[in-house]
Amino acid sequence: MKTMILKKFIPGITVTGSDVSQEASGTTAALLRKIWNQLQPVLLAFVGIGMFLLLWEGISVFLKREMPGPAATLSVLYDMLANPFYDYGPNDKGIGLQLWYSMVRVATGFGLATIVAIPVGMLLGASKLFYKMFDPIVQILKPVSPLAWFPIGLVAFQNSAAATTFIIFVTSLWPTLINTAVGVASIPDDFKNVSKAFGFSKTKYVMKVMIPYALPHIITGLRLSIGVAWLVIVAGEMLSGGTGIGFFVWDSWNALSLEKVISAIIIIGVVGLILDRFFLSLGKLVTYK
Amino acid sequence: MENITDKLDMSNTKVYHSSLGIQIRDMTISFSTPAGTYVAVKNINLNIKKGEIVSIIGHSGCGKSTILNAIAGMVKPSKGEVIVNYKTISAPGPDRGIVFQNYSLLPWLTVQQNIYEAVDSVFVSKSKSEKNEIVNYYLNKVGLFTHKNKLPQQISGGMKQRTAIARAFSINPNILLLDEPFGALDALTKSSLHEELIQLWASDENKKTILMVTHDIEEAIYLSDKIVVLTNGRAASIGDIIEVTIPRPREKKSFVASPEYKAIRDKLLYLLMDAYAAA
Repeated sequence: MKTMILKKFIPGITVTGSDVSQEASGTTAALLRKIWNQLQPVLLAFVGIGMFLLLWEGISVFLKREMPGPAATLSVLYDMLANPFYDYGPNDKGIGLQLWYSMVRVATGFGLATIVAIPVGMLLGASKLFYKMFDPIVQILKPVSPLAWFPIGLVAFQNSAAATTFIIFVTSLWPTLINTAVGVASIPDDFKNVSKAFGFSKTKYVMKVMIPYALPHIITGLRLSIGVAWLVIVAGEMLSGGTGIGFFVWDSWNALSLEKVISAIIIIGVVGLILDRFFLSLGKLVTYK
Repeated sequence: MENITDKLDMSNTKVYHSSLGIQIRDMTISFSTPAGTYVAVKNINLNIKKGEIVSIIGHSGCGKSTILNAIAGMVKPSKGEVIVNYKTISAPGPDRGIVFQNYSLLPWLTVQQNIYEAVDSVFVSKSKSEKNEIVNYYLNKVGLFTHKNKLPQQISGGMKQRTAIARAFSINPNILLLDEPFGALDALTKSSLHEELIQLWASDENKKTILMVTHDIEEAIYLSDKIVVLTNGRAASIGDIIEVTIPRPREKKSFVASPEYKAIRDKLLYLLMDAYAAA
């Protein structure tokens, strides 16, 4: 009875007590309950979204439609999604195309950062000497807003698009590097002793002990990195202009189309969610007990 | 009590005898801690013959594992030395196989892979199929062939320890070091693993020297030729060495009922409970 009440008020809660397993014995009541358990979180999510839309509409009315309401915005969003890949020149491109530019930048910057961060992180985690040498630098650079690197990127690459990719690179570096280092540094002595006792070569130790042990940490680092990268790309493209979802937001603001701005916010959020879930499930795949 | 010899004094012996499995000479091991130097074991002298099974028994924390780790080459003696095969031990090596207390299987590798990686490291020049043959031989020996593709988390504690034992045997070491290998297992599993260990040892013509750390009196008597009793730590030393001359093969039930067994057990109990009682 207690769990029923619990489930009513906490969406998505899974009850693993005896009451569930005993009743799920094939009776109609049990089946209905199973369906209800599946359906309930979805229904509740819709209730939440409905309440949010209502609040949004309220604020829009309160601001005398200076800010568009849900209906106006969603119709613009629908139009944007209906024809996402058109290209009518530099200031009028489909949202799909803009997203693509941003994703390519994120993929490039994030990919290069991963190639650098994982080996360097492993080195820092495995060697106390390297850790002591380079940890202070990492700690100082880590809290710097990646946008501060933009001028450096401009000087280095003489190109604002490349500079944007560069700040994504800098952004994606730290979480992966630090998580990899922490993962490698926390390899239990038991596993180190096994490799010592049986004379594992350096390569075997890295491939069979270090990487498998650190992999869940590394994936967590990648997940944090891609999250921050996706946050930063919007700001970066607002600075650099030209193309991308960030530029689209800024351009829409200049064109005074708040419907487009809000639509872009929704799209950015959904893409961010998908990226996050991808790395989350990747992490679950490599987690061992 | 003719089975029980007096404490052997070998501090002056300097024989490098060919039949000598392990020789520990005047070994002291201390660790520096924030609170100062901690002496774990002091003035250890011990000769273990090739093919002998020797147990080190003592209270928790008395430095049993430290001695084993010194033979393994994981810990360096502060004074004295461990000699194996005419050489002073300075690092771990494939001439000594180790079975760790907590199995220490790599959890992301299957049973088969855990053994294979050890074999692969030690027999570098052998072909892949030869290495697999060795792995399969020992998998069969410990009855895990049908479980070879399981991960450690999918098998029982007894099976994990069988894997660890198979791994230690698979590199064909002269010396096997077992660090409280059966401590975490239930009595029945423990018993059958004792038999399997003896069988593995016997199937190799009793050539391997086995040194085991334990705090289980029955286990020590059943398996050993010699039982080394440590005094209570810190700075533990060898209190007594008890010979178990009961002939092999030993059949567990009648063995436990024999008067020799009882005599040794009583002696060990006296030593551990009274003479070197925990502080």
